[in-house]
Amino acid sequence: MSKEHDSGDSIRPPDDSLTSYFDDLLGGEDLLAQSFSTLQERPMPVAASSGGARVISLPTKKTAEDKPKKNTLRAEPAPKTLKPISTFAEPAALQTLEQKRQLEKLLQSARAQLLVDAAITTQVSTEAKPAFVNDPNEIQDWVIEIPVIEAPPIAEISDALDEQPAQVAQFQIDGLEWLDNGRPQWAQSRFDVLLFKVSGLTLAVPLISLGQIQPLTDELTPLFGQADWFMGLQPTPAGKIRTVNTAKFVMPERYDPSFVETAKYVMSINGVPWGLAVDSVNQPITLMPEDVKWRSDRGKRPWLAGTVKEHMCALLDIPRIGQMLIEADKNFLPA
Amino acid sequence: MATDAAKNKSSDDPVLQWVTFRLDGETYGINVMQVQEVLRYSEIAPVPGAPSYVLGIINLRGNVVTVIDTRHRFNLSSGDITDNTRIVIIETDRHVIGILVDSVAEVVYLRQSEIEMAPNVGNEESAKFIQGVCHKNNELLILIDLNKLLTSEEWSELEDV
Repeated sequence: MSKEHDSGDSIRPPDDSLTSYFDDLLGGEDLLAQSFSTLQERPMPVAASSGGARVISLPTKKTAEDKPKKNTLRAEPAPKTLKPISTFAEPAALQTLEQKRQLEKLLQSARAQLLVDAAITTQVSTEAKPAFVNDPNEIQDWVIEIPVIEAPPIAEISDALDEQPAQVAQFQIDGLEWLDNGRPQWAQSRFDVLLFKVSGLTLAVPLISLGQIQPLTDELTPLFGQADWFMGLQPTPAGKIRTVNTAKFVMPERYDPSFVETAKYVMSINGVPWGLAVDSVNQPITLMPEDVKWRSDRGKRPWLAGTVKEHMCALLDIPRIGQMLIEADKNFLPA
Repeated sequence: MATDAAKNKSSDDPVLQWVTFRLDGETYGINVMQVQEVLRYSEIAPVPGAPSYVLGIINLRGNVVTVIDTRHRFNLSSGDITDNTRIVIIETDRHVIGILVDSVAEVVYLRQSEIEMAPNVGNEESAKFIQGVCHKNNELLILIDLNKLLTSEEWSELEDV
């Protein structure tokens, strides 16, 4: 139970020792994020002005796969000694009005091609030369080959662009949002959490996001070809729960393989067919938002909402975990 | 009227027969229409230079049949040959191959509606072999799509074996 609370929404001073304790315990890897990170980024052609030349860069399959994070598709800053060799190089000074008009026409056709590329999202494979360089001072003296694609009528392009949001429309579970006060939607006022243990670590989950707790039985069936944090399917009266190896998931560096034997229950997540395997379930407690040291940067382990000093436990953002799990499932079909 | 209703129901929700077999402690099912016969284990002649998932070949009444190492194909640990070990001769498209399994269990009848989609998390190619799962007789059946067991390139490789 929470005891004393700061008044209002005041934020506690950072407790570095607690943070480093959990950082150390939970490790640096994010297995789930790794397992579906390849699905996240899709290269798109980019146009950018740089210095005196207008350069259109097309991604090659090689660059998109080799460095998906750092080599996000962008034009490198133009080196000082860059030779304007691209077919889209724009001369610094225009001779006549007629030349200017012709150049404008050429640029418009280039923009139309760019829209077509974005609309049809075709993988363009070019020569093995890298589209981007790591060293901004390196001279790019190679010619960019633009594939010739017949531009469809503008109406068709517009239709294709309109259809894109429908294609990427994703299933979203409730309670995902974090508000401006740095807390998730489900923790705006007093909330209940359930404490449980996984390989000796105490974790807390908000009760509002929990489905049910079922015992793990011999019927837990592993499936081949899955990520190592997937324990298997546990048949229950309420359906088959896709069971996550919670120990492997939250602290891969300190993973103890005996967890597979010690795990006794699976806690299902409300709204998704997934659940977390746990060793034991403790009593529920009530927390005030001020009891939690909320994480401000959740880029690394987005499923970790914060830490609770009073109970020395990590608070899981269960809606976020549920969302990550369904996004990781390539067979998932939104209802 | 009642007969018509029953007919409509059966056409909407057909009953399929699946041959079940055991592999590394789990039960798998394959469509009975693709099973030609089940053989006791007999010596499999290894083929030099064959892909790693190929155990070798057997002589089936004068025909050479390639036998696949199913455990290897499913990324499971290797197992021992026992009295229950069987070679299931299956037919996919135009090809006939054998798959080595720990034992063959039974034929079960499953309604299409009973089959659920299995998750596919991770980056293993073998996950695509799973067509679905079904809870039957207090155990979970993992249903295998034999048509995806090998790619067209791998079928070509097998023809060279």
